[in-house]
Amino acid sequence: METTEEQKTVIRTTDISKTYHESKIPVQALKDVDLEIRHGEFIAIVGPSGSGKTTLLNIIGGLDNPTTGSIIIDGTDISKLKESQMIDFRLHNIGFVFQQYNLIPVLTARENVEFIMLLQKKHKNEMESRAMSLLEEVGLTDKANVRPSELSGGQQQRVAVIRALASRPKFILADEPTANLDSTSAANLLDMMARMNREEGMTFVFSTHDQRVIDKARRVVTLEDGKIISDEVRS
Amino acid sequence: MLITIAWRNVWRNWGRSLVVIGSIVIGIWALIFMLGFMNGFTISYVNGSIRNEVSHIQVHHPDFREDYDIEFNITDGVARTKEILKLPEVKAAAPRSIVNGMLSSPRKAGGARIMGIIPELEKEVTRHDSLLAEGVYFTGDQRNPVILGIDLAEDLRTEVGSKIILTFQNENHDLVAGAFRVTGLLNTTSPIINKSRAYVRMEDLNRILGTDDDVHEIAVYLNDPEQVPVVMDELQPRFDGMDIESWRSISPDLELFLSMTDSFLWILVGIIMVALVFGIINTMLMAVLERYRELGMLMAVGMNRIRVFLMIVIETLFLSLVGGPIGVLAGFLTMHWLGIQGIDLSAYSEGLREFGYSSILYPYVADKTYLIASSGVIITAILGALYPAYKAIRLNPIEALHTV
Repeated sequence: METTEEQKTVIRTTDISKTYHESKIPVQALKDVDLEIRHGEFIAIVGPSGSGKTTLLNIIGGLDNPTTGSIIIDGTDISKLKESQMIDFRLHNIGFVFQQYNLIPVLTARENVEFIMLLQKKHKNEMESRAMSLLEEVGLTDKANVRPSELSGGQQQRVAVIRALASRPKFILADEPTANLDSTSAANLLDMMARMNREEGMTFVFSTHDQRVIDKARRVVTLEDGKIISDEVRS
Repeated sequence: MLITIAWRNVWRNWGRSLVVIGSIVIGIWALIFMLGFMNGFTISYVNGSIRNEVSHIQVHHPDFREDYDIEFNITDGVARTKEILKLPEVKAAAPRSIVNGMLSSPRKAGGARIMGIIPELEKEVTRHDSLLAEGVYFTGDQRNPVILGIDLAEDLRTEVGSKIILTFQNENHDLVAGAFRVTGLLNTTSPIINKSRAYVRMEDLNRILGTDDDVHEIAVYLNDPEQVPVVMDELQPRFDGMDIESWRSISPDLELFLSMTDSFLWILVGIIMVALVFGIINTMLMAVLERYRELGMLMAVGMNRIRVFLMIVIETLFLSLVGGPIGVLAGFLTMHWLGIQGIDLSAYSEGLREFGYSSILYPYVADKTYLIASSGVIITAILGALYPAYKAIRLNPIEALHTV
């Protein structure tokens, strides 16, 4: 059977467990997590603090390795990659949006958007036009040449989202993206991401506590004590 | 972009960067100044010794310098000196008849080396006529004049106008003596001259010694010190069987002094580099720790460790590339100015003269010093960047991203 773009599996985790041995008592952060995320999904991973959301996101993002289990992204088992290969894999396949925005303070908004494309060694003209069109799309053309310190929190997070998007990753991982935003900024950001999901077909995976994000998500995976306790797909 | 980020990062914390740049500037300036000062001393000492005492080249009987016996002489020395003077490279040449003897004043006696000279030739070589603290330089109308080193006169408790007796051995090893009148006191930068030299006219000395035109030493002063080997080669056939020595072999202490200055350059570069390395490590480590989360983000989004490492090293290099030229320029201008003005050390000149230095010091550094100082700082910056850069690439992106 032919697989359409929409049905294509982007992320598949199989029996993922993660145990931390940092103290005398081992802490099991994830227990046998099986999760399949398809292209174009807008999915929120929710759960109380300590439920394993961030650990799961770190493992999906290739920032951490599972203790057991496998994680396949677009056909590649990333748990088998060496560290240097993993860095390169992240660069070309995964977009990151962080709770604290994490823009590079010494670069302008446009340069921040171009940054990952630059690491990917994209052509200068391509970088510039992509950065400017995305800035225009999020209404920040007039802020292209200002540094992050001159932007509001909402504007910084919008720049962070388009920085992730600009490099055309397979999916974007967003760890509590609205946690530091006021409700208007959060709503604007969510609308923007939903539009990008719709128009560009970009897959978004959030970890969140924020009900506004959960309300927007079309699929909500709930974790508790490192296990998936519900996986709700909304129409 | 790496370079852009590194450059902008330098100016992210103005105060801190300026402190490092300032320490680089002061480090290089201090290095150049110290070396200039040292070199000034060395050059003053070496040039003073060559000018007032050693000359560029000396000719002796091969055995003369072993025991200063008057039989080891250069026959027809005066006539042959006049031949040397015809060489175009030679500025001045003077023959000397030399004996070791005893000087007795009515109050005290002491040993000294008695130099029989031809004043008109000698003053062109050693310029002693301009270094008299008291009295006059062989005017020609006095009988048996002697000029003493100033400290020697003090030791003998004698003064200008007093008579002293010079006693020494003649060719037959008989003791002979002559009465001489002190006509001048010589105050040079050479402690040896000041403490143990008596200058008399060669005709007076040789008359007592019973020798004629024979001399024990011919001192040659050149227009250009670089010509020493050339002139030595020219003199060799004219003085067959005689020792022809350059100032380097006559006074190995001068050669040692010069090489010590060179060694000191490296020791100073080392000390300043070590101090700078720790300053740079401290600053860059602070910069890395302060940006821990940012570096974690860079690595999370796909910036590899080599690039992170390079970014820190380039950042440090920029600090040194800003500070380095300013330090070199400050050092150059200081040297240029002091090279003309000199540093007046007359407040310490009594003590300095004891060691053979003049009271005005002209600091000087060779061009290579600027190059060594600049390269030293760049190497220091790279060395200083290694540990902070290593620290940066060892960070765990997950931990770093959760750093507040």
